[in-house]
Amino acid sequence: MTKEKFQSFWNKFGTLCILIVLFIAFSIGSPKFFPQPANLIQCLLQSTVYILLAFGEFFAILLGGIDLSVGAVACFSGIIVADLSLKGVSPVVCLIVGLLGAVLFGFINGVLINALDLHPFVVTLGTNTIYRGICLVMTGGNPLFNLPKWVKGLSAYIVGIPKPVIYVAVIGIILVAFTTKTVAGRNLYALGGNKQSAWYSGINTKKYTVLAHILSSLLAGIGGIVMLARVGAAEPTAGAGYETYAIAACIIGGASLFGGKGRIWGVILGGITIGTINNGLNIMNVSAFWQKIVMGSLIIASVALEKLISNKVRK
Amino acid sequence: MAIKLSPLFIGRGAHMEYLKMNNITMKFPGVVALDNVSFDLRLGEVHVLLGENGAGKSTLVKILSGIYTPTSGEITINGRPVSDLTPKGSADNKIAIIYQELSVVDNLSIAENMFLGKLPTKKKMGITVVDKEFLYAESEKYLKEIGLKKNPSTLVQDISISEKQQVEIAKALCSNAKVIIMDEPTSSLSIDETKNMFKIIEHLKKNNIGIIYISHKLPEIKEIGDRVTILKDGKYVKTLNISDLEVKDLVPLMIGREIKDKFVGTKREIAPDEQPTFVVKNLTRKDGTCRNINFEVYKGEILGFAGLIGAGRSECMEGIFGAKTISSGEVYYNGKKLKIHNPYDAMKQGIAMVTENRRETGFFPNFPIWKEIAVSTSLKKSTLGGFTGMVQTKSEKNIAEKFTKKLSIKCTGVNQMTYNLSGGNQQKVIISKWLAVDSNIFIFDEPTKGIDVGAKSEIYAIMRSMAEEGKTIIMVSSEMPELLSTCDRIIVFRDGEISGIFNSDEATEEKIMLAAVHLS
Repeated sequence: MTKEKFQSFWNKFGTLCILIVLFIAFSIGSPKFFPQPANLIQCLLQSTVYILLAFGEFFAILLGGIDLSVGAVACFSGIIVADLSLKGVSPVVCLIVGLLGAVLFGFINGVLINALDLHPFVVTLGTNTIYRGICLVMTGGNPLFNLPKWVKGLSAYIVGIPKPVIYVAVIGIILVAFTTKTVAGRNLYALGGNKQSAWYSGINTKKYTVLAHILSSLLAGIGGIVMLARVGAAEPTAGAGYETYAIAACIIGGASLFGGKGRIWGVILGGITIGTINNGLNIMNVSAFWQKIVMGSLIIASVALEKLISNKVRK
Repeated sequence: MAIKLSPLFIGRGAHMEYLKMNNITMKFPGVVALDNVSFDLRLGEVHVLLGENGAGKSTLVKILSGIYTPTSGEITINGRPVSDLTPKGSADNKIAIIYQELSVVDNLSIAENMFLGKLPTKKKMGITVVDKEFLYAESEKYLKEIGLKKNPSTLVQDISISEKQQVEIAKALCSNAKVIIMDEPTSSLSIDETKNMFKIIEHLKKNNIGIIYISHKLPEIKEIGDRVTILKDGKYVKTLNISDLEVKDLVPLMIGREIKDKFVGTKREIAPDEQPTFVVKNLTRKDGTCRNINFEVYKGEILGFAGLIGAGRSECMEGIFGAKTISSGEVYYNGKKLKIHNPYDAMKQGIAMVTENRRETGFFPNFPIWKEIAVSTSLKKSTLGGFTGMVQTKSEKNIAEKFTKKLSIKCTGVNQMTYNLSGGNQQKVIISKWLAVDSNIFIFDEPTKGIDVGAKSEIYAIMRSMAEEGKTIIMVSSEMPELLSTCDRIIVFRDGEISGIFNSDEATEEKIMLAAVHLS
């Protein structure tokens, strides 16, 4: 294989290769890991929340920004749905209101970034804390449980496949289409590539910034509801720190923090990588405390390996 | 590789070729940027490097600065062969480069910039500190030498571009440079600043410094240069003594054909009772960079805007286009008042703008040519403020292919990244983008900046044929010959206001310049 060919191969399949390396490593580490299809499904299921949050994060990163509030927004949506469901509100209304809450938070993020002309890092660092505070105030710090059966049903299995995996697949397809086939999707890439050029080309950069942050929060909200369904209770601290996994999934998946680069397909693989690391460590009976240390190290190692090989290829 | 040369040794090489590049070839994947090119430089001379964009001048400079290692060929400095020149090795060999995009650090003082990386130190109570007295005294000496009257402790962010350039020259002097490479040093300077720059260059020559001078401004070359080496498509053409030749002789050598400053196409005559199609009334920018601008353009006309850099022409156009805020002003198209709050509104109502600075406001580094060209077109078709619509890959690629042929964009195909094209071709892609939008009013801000001579005339021809098809064209340019040969009428700006309007048949460079500058 020539250098150029390998480069284009690595650009397309680099993330996949890393994922395969992880699979092999875990299979060697624990014989229970790989051979069972049930565990592969489990791996995917554990990845779903990460992928959904990463989908959202992707749009913030695509613009060369970042969204540190996805974890809190996810938690907020979960709490709204749980709270309304306990009051006997119909499922559809619960879900719609939960997602609207997320959209509102995303809108606030976008508007603040535009109005104050601050880097999204600063704005979402602040709103993350505010949104988490709102979650605590709403619940008084106590988890909401004893939820109606339909909530748990959101993560039930259909013909052996967990519903969240289906949600991710459907949303993933929609987002692939959105980012590659629609004018709005392409404009987000343009804006991430060069904000000034985008402005002079007629793209309304402020409205598109709001759009990206609404998408970010909406997808985080969906992630939060899936999280709620899987756990079966709404914790006011749920999803804390998940923004780091979401960001990691995007970067492992090939998105550039400078903006304008990345693919939904890569984000999915990035999310699965995070889920696989999580699942693999569970199966190997690594303690929850140690898991964090190993997880963080593996995130850095995955990105470093990706970069190392890319750099080697480029030379 | 670091070679230390003693000053004595440098002195001995004074009248021979100090720097020699023999049979240099530089290959990149798929491209031969330099093909067996030779070049030499004597101390105390200005040796001009001339060639169209993509001729290989920048590559040659990058080899001398140690950024590229040539595929083959030999470099000798002061008679010694120098292999694998690195950026540090280049500096060790007393080569200094002043790039078009200056590399001074804005938040450091003039003196700190000059001594960057080698600040003088002294011991104070056992602690090593910067010796500010020495630093300022020493900097002052060099600043005086080139005639820059600034306090060395001034922050670089507070001085003008031409002064920043002079700081770079002073920095080169204080590093004892024997060779200074200047890449289009006058491209963003006013007339007075250019004159001052030439004085400095004369001074450098007297001090036995060799200067490699890159410029597209031919009259300037005649004024300042001693010898000229012409490159064409990466190949060596000729080295000539400048005193032996006329400026117009150089052009055919660069392009292989003679370009005459003849009016492009036929001038558009305006009937006495004709109504203008596009009218701007009392436009004032919020930041005051242009004030009370009134003008009108007729359908099928090319209206030129002349003036010195910073006179407010581009600022006025940005205001019309909605890219920057205006505090007052109205724009009418065919008698109808337009509401423009941003470029999207402007584009929707038929106004297009090719901006001056393609790197900052022109193209997208992450887009291939076809996407680049499609961006605004797809926005124009889109509704809800530019949020609806699908990407039409096939037709968009077809359109892009049409324009790459029409403007003869040198590329491997429409899938090539705009980023990887040469400057001139990047600009052509941006022009294609707006041609594809098919608006009625076209604002071209320095449309031929950084575009080679051949492509320039193609663009004038395209602009004229667009005008003949009934488009209305506004052209801001700092190159008077192109304004005179392209525009039907010319408006002159001075300090943010209109200071003159000329019909192109009565306009001359002299008349325009008189309107553009302050006489007192």
